[in-house]
Amino acid sequence: MILGVTIITLSVLVNQITKNTFTKNNPNLDVVVGAKGSPLQLVLSSIHHIDIPTGNISYKNAKKIMKHPAIKFGVPISLGDNYQNYRIVGTDKKFLKLYDAELEIGFMWEKPMQSVIGSNVATFTKLKIDKFFVGSHGLIDTGDIHSEQPYKVVGILKKTGTILDNLIITSLDSVWNLHSNQNDILKNSDSLEVTALLLKYKNKTSVFSFPRLINKNTSMQAASPNLEISKLFKLTGGAHKIINYLSIIIVSLSFAGILFTLLNNINERKYDLAILRTLGFTRERIFSIILIEGMTISIVGSFIGLILGGIVYKCIEFFSLLGRNIVTGQLDFVYEILTIWSVILIISFLTCLIPCIKVYKQNIRNTLLNS
Amino acid sequence: MLICENLSFSIDGHKLFSNIDFKIKKEKDLLITGPSGIGKTTLLSVLCGLQIPTEGSIRYNDISLYSLSENKIDEFRGKQLGIVFQSFNLINAFTIKQNLQIANTAEGSQDTDNLYDLLERVGLADKSHIKVSNLSIGEKQRVAVARAFIGQPKWIFCDEPTSSLDDKNTDIIANLIKEESLRHKASLILITHDKRVQSILNFNEILRLGEVL
Repeated sequence: MILGVTIITLSVLVNQITKNTFTKNNPNLDVVVGAKGSPLQLVLSSIHHIDIPTGNISYKNAKKIMKHPAIKFGVPISLGDNYQNYRIVGTDKKFLKLYDAELEIGFMWEKPMQSVIGSNVATFTKLKIDKFFVGSHGLIDTGDIHSEQPYKVVGILKKTGTILDNLIITSLDSVWNLHSNQNDILKNSDSLEVTALLLKYKNKTSVFSFPRLINKNTSMQAASPNLEISKLFKLTGGAHKIINYLSIIIVSLSFAGILFTLLNNINERKYDLAILRTLGFTRERIFSIILIEGMTISIVGSFIGLILGGIVYKCIEFFSLLGRNIVTGQLDFVYEILTIWSVILIISFLTCLIPCIKVYKQNIRNTLLNS
Repeated sequence: MLICENLSFSIDGHKLFSNIDFKIKKEKDLLITGPSGIGKTTLLSVLCGLQIPTEGSIRYNDISLYSLSENKIDEFRGKQLGIVFQSFNLINAFTIKQNLQIANTAEGSQDTDNLYDLLERVGLADKSHIKVSNLSIGEKQRVAVARAFIGQPKWIFCDEPTSSLDDKNTDIIANLIKEESLRHKASLILITHDKRVQSILNFNEILRLGEVL
């Protein structure tokens, strides 16, 4: 029972929370444009900040795309550095509007190398307003730091429950300062690059034509976040189903286990149960005793399974790549878990009725004589 | 008063006993005797509500036992009757104290003073924590007697309570049953072949089953 419920709980938690995280992290963006490569990788790296980017695209081309008639608005992002594994995102202030972000304290960046940080970043790195920090090259902490130009924290964002809570946001100039030639920046040169462009269409009719236009006619690629993430879930769905079937088999076996344990127990104790009847215990009372015994095994076993499932999930979250970007504080899984738990308890109850009925029908005189 | 009228019992069409009539007044005793296999133990089971008679009725004061539902019979047995079975019918996995406590629970009482008092009277107060499976036959018999008197029953039924005891223990158990039934002002209905017990208990009424038939 414990093992079965642990696996079911884990499966539900992983599935629900991952889906919710992917949904909440995407602020209704229609398309992402970036360097050619895996479209899923582009979506994961530029929206969910999990994978590494496919490469860079020209900022000049990015600006052209943003002015395309099909595009309502676009936000360029530039990745490349991190601080204690929290990604530093060079972008413009529209990026924060995507997530309806508000400042908890401080102000927005005005100059290069000023930054605002997400609430989780502030909590876990202990960075505060007016504190300086040095970015590390790459998207995970390798120790290769940009010590010549530290960032300054000028604002801390309110919690949004999205990936923004785990990001350090700064201007594009800040990233270019660290990675591009200073003359290029001053001249707004064509050689400046960004990692990706987050776009929204004016209307949904562009959903097929615009990506085809980019993919066929440019050296860039356009990827739909919703399409790529649903493909990802289709790929992992098979494994999820196998885990679910496995856990159903294990829980079914545990029901059989409870049934045979109770039947065996009452068989061993039928003499004792008959004695209880001679002492004045009614059939209903003995029926209740057996039922309570069986349901105690089920309730305690399944509850321990729930707790273990939660603990294992937290361990996976802690050690996994996605784990850090999980949107915490989600409770959508509670309904599904409670439904599964209720079904398990109802089946347990029905399973326990079999030995209870057997005891209920026991002939005490014959039992005592035979014993 | 316990009134039995026209009591009969058959197994697979074979009459074990029939047309038994007797009355026992309050605080009076009855000895049931007869040869082996005549149905003494079955009669006791019928009187205690453990086995339904083929015919006849049993009334405890104004309560007709077999007109009650099975649950009510169980409750009545728990509250009004004390039974000492021939094979003791103790829960071997329980301690002496637990065996008495479970009888106390069945009767609906939480009174532990009476429990310890009874254990002291049967000489097992210092062994209350010992499992029944570790007791001698004589000790088990004493536990069974103590358990029968839990809840201060008005009718005590004993089935060959001394069948496996030596003379010394027979005296102890017989005297114990006599003393406790007098102390609790209970009527005693006892099955025994044992002349020693019959002489100690000095019964008011005797039912000879073989002769009734």
